[in-house]
Amino acid sequence: MRPLDPHQDAADKWEVQLRKGCLELAILAALWEGKLYGLEILRRLEADSDLIISEGTVYPLLSRLKTLGLVRGEWVESDAGHPRKYYSLTAAGKQRGREMAGMWARFSSSMAKLLAPLVRGK
Amino acid sequence: MTIPKDANQKIEAYLAKLRAQFRSFNDQQVAEIVAELRSHILDKLEIAGDATPSQVDAILAALGTPEELAGQYITDNVLARAEVSRSPLRILASLFRWASLSVAGFFVLLGSVLGYFFGAVFILVAILKPFHPQTAGLWLLHDATGDSEFSFRMGFGTVPAGRDLLGWWIVPLGLLAGCALVTVTTRLALWCARQYRKSGVLPRS
Repeated sequence: MRPLDPHQDAADKWEVQLRKGCLELAILAALWEGKLYGLEILRRLEADSDLIISEGTVYPLLSRLKTLGLVRGEWVESDAGHPRKYYSLTAAGKQRGREMAGMWARFSSSMAKLLAPLVRGK
Repeated sequence: MTIPKDANQKIEAYLAKLRAQFRSFNDQQVAEIVAELRSHILDKLEIAGDATPSQVDAILAALGTPEELAGQYITDNVLARAEVSRSPLRILASLFRWASLSVAGFFVLLGSVLGYFFGAVFILVAILKPFHPQTAGLWLLHDATGDSEFSFRMGFGTVPAGRDLLGWWIVPLGLLAGCALVTVTTRLALWCARQYRKSGVLPRS
């Protein structure tokens, strides 16, 4: 067990929230090219990002996006013998994805400028 | 892939526990959630290649406990529903689900019921004042023992023994205070749900 360090703990919490905050946009982005089922979305996020906090986080989030009308779900029979729930973006989901991506681009470029001295380690 | 009996029992026990957490969701929603998670578990077993009980344990641990997982579904749902519609009835219905699951949810529900109740009382009294000008309002009542208490009167029945504190001011003030209480209660309930969601109850994988 690592020793208790309140600063480290606060930094960890911040990181968890940062990831969670990005997860919604990341899921919309993963679905941009076409429909995927839950595990494929998880795989995509694991391969292309380090956003996954827990596998259990993604399924409730997909259900939330469905309630918001940003994605739709459909059951498809598979060769594996059990059906899988495939998600795809609705028109509202595409719209939201574009808006969020635009905000993200503006936000990250201004943060990158601001953080440049910290990253250089001065 | 065939799943051995002991591994399958573990999976079904987990899903049964999860199902039990969703007492207040409608059957269709619960069936979909459970079917989706079963499909996830079976897919992961397929990838792992061996369906031993310890493999199942690892997959279930990565999902979180049934309580934690259901908690995420419910709070995510409370917030999503509230974003779609801010109707107090909708919010109360969602909070009711959350309360059936956790102590935190119970207290948020309790606070929200109180907030909405007093908000509704303020608004009702303000609306009824023009119909019952002599009796409706916020009264300071005196009883036989000399104790006094504040009382909201809808104005049905006789003139109470005491003093009408606000008179006609109850109409604008009541409407204002009532609407403010309803708004604050809604915001507070959503804030609590958001905090709960942010608190990171699920383990890192």
